[in-house]
Amino acid sequence: MSSVAKRKAKNEIHIGSHVFDVMLVIFMILFSVVMIYPLVNVIAISLSSSAMISSGKVTWFPKEITFTGYEIVFGQSTIWIAYLNTVKYAVTYAVVSLFMTSLLAYTLLIPEFVLRKPLTIYLLITMFFSGGTVPTYLVVRNLGLMNTMWALVLPGAVSAYNVFVYRAFFRGLSIEIREAAKIDGAGDATILFRIYMPLSKALYATFGLFAIVGMWNSYFSALLYIKDEAKQPIQNVLRSILFSSGAMGGTFDGVNQLVQSGKLNPKNVQYATIFATVAPVVMIYPFLQKYFAQGVQVGSVKG
Amino acid sequence: MERLQNTSRKTLKDFIPQQVLKFSKLLWRQKSLVFLALPPVIMVFLFRYLPMYGILIAFKDYKPLRGVWGSPWETPLFENFIRFFNYVDFKRLIFNTVKVGIVSLFFTYPAPIIFALLLNELRFKKFKRVVQTISYLPHFISVVVIVGMLNNFGSLGGLFNQIRGIFGLEAVNMNSGDKYFLLMYVGSAVWQGVGWGAIIYLAALANVDPTLYDVANIDGANRWHKIWNINLPSILPTTTVILILNAGNILSQDYTKILLMQNDTNRSLIDVISTFVYRVGIAQGEFEYATAVNLFVSVINFFLVFITNKIVQRLNPENSLW
Repeated sequence: MSSVAKRKAKNEIHIGSHVFDVMLVIFMILFSVVMIYPLVNVIAISLSSSAMISSGKVTWFPKEITFTGYEIVFGQSTIWIAYLNTVKYAVTYAVVSLFMTSLLAYTLLIPEFVLRKPLTIYLLITMFFSGGTVPTYLVVRNLGLMNTMWALVLPGAVSAYNVFVYRAFFRGLSIEIREAAKIDGAGDATILFRIYMPLSKALYATFGLFAIVGMWNSYFSALLYIKDEAKQPIQNVLRSILFSSGAMGGTFDGVNQLVQSGKLNPKNVQYATIFATVAPVVMIYPFLQKYFAQGVQVGSVKG
Repeated sequence: MERLQNTSRKTLKDFIPQQVLKFSKLLWRQKSLVFLALPPVIMVFLFRYLPMYGILIAFKDYKPLRGVWGSPWETPLFENFIRFFNYVDFKRLIFNTVKVGIVSLFFTYPAPIIFALLLNELRFKKFKRVVQTISYLPHFISVVVIVGMLNNFGSLGGLFNQIRGIFGLEAVNMNSGDKYFLLMYVGSAVWQGVGWGAIIYLAALANVDPTLYDVANIDGANRWHKIWNINLPSILPTTTVILILNAGNILSQDYTKILLMQNDTNRSLIDVISTFVYRVGIAQGEFEYATAVNLFVSVINFFLVFITNKIVQRLNPENSLW
């Protein structure tokens, strides 16, 4: 009896397990739809005709396709200037951040460096205490960085957390390399620039991409520090189009006339600008995806 | 050069202690390292330490031309804090801040844990990877785009109202007033954070010793038993650390998002301390007042971390932060 009962019990477990598997797959498909649908919907609406948008019938696919929104957004200089500004800010930020963080991380790696302990504490303190928005704003203002790219680039470039992660990564490259190079007469700068940096491509790819995406996506520091219309990064241009009524006509020529004649829905332009903002990030997403698994691993290395 | 050093040592010898001398000699020998470390150290000083020093203006009547130290002290010293406690909307501001913080934590904290545990149960590795890749994507969407989408989806005829229509609910403008603010704020935070937040738990789950499952199978454990008795305990230390860190941030909401969600119909209704600090401090230029408010929040945040850590210490000493 016992063997039959056992087999029966085992089967029940298996059936229960299979039902669970099927439900799980269904749940995950629904989950993926929820994750992706808002973005697909935005693209579909940006490409649909004004009447179809107003009727609220656009879901996964564009209806009565029109490119008017995109013609306006990409046909005028505003968005290209914003792109250019943002690329400049993001790349400078990434380069400064990677370089400065590497300098500090390398020196903190070396056991016999006399300032190793004091500098580590110096960094640790910044992890627990911060001045807050207003005092930082005042420092940036007093340094005369207002309305310059450096107000966006410098304040966040060196973070204690990143220094410790870099150091953990450098440590993984083994200290013997350094000893060997020292014997060959190389100085510390040479060792860092010629040996450690070229060996840390994975690290730089990860943190460089994160820095670029982070700067690309931020609007708040530019809101604080950049007053010049011509220096605004992309998120701030998008912000004024999306959130201040009437700003769209001021940003893009000819929008108001097209909207009045019914050829254009304001959403065409708004959503096309959203697309213009998100598309570059989505395009580098496969690279991000490839590297950040490594980044998370690097982060978990004991520091 | 040696001779130069010798002469200077002779004259300074009596004044400088031996250890300092030894230290500066070492420092001189390691000057290349000092030189490398200097630029980032200066940057940290300028943008991390100077602002900390700037907190002093919370107790001062700040005059930009006279600098932080040169400005006169407030009389009474806590003038800016007293002003905040007497602020008409003080109670609502605190209540809102706590409410938004607790409700956010209540949903955004467990969501990635549950997602990670479920994803870990998926048997088809390829499907698992696809779902995971998709789940990260919202994390990389900027806050301006998120709020732009919320505004459009919540408007009459927007996506959210289409969904309400399916359930037979009438269309409402969800952006006006504060009725739907919390739902949209927390909902979008979960949407953005669930996949990204799960990474750290999935990494912990990947490190579970497989023999544990074999042993569990021999004992006749089902899926649920294994999740409850193997997977959950294996991520417990991680979940605890994340909880303590989140508890410290309970009063510091994503103010960049709330600032964008504010409009003329809801500005004061959905105000939290950090948006208040921005509006008063930067937009209205009352630097010392805003700094005082911010300092007040930082102190409370610090105590929150401390208290949470104490509780964790009591319950499970191994997982506490210190």
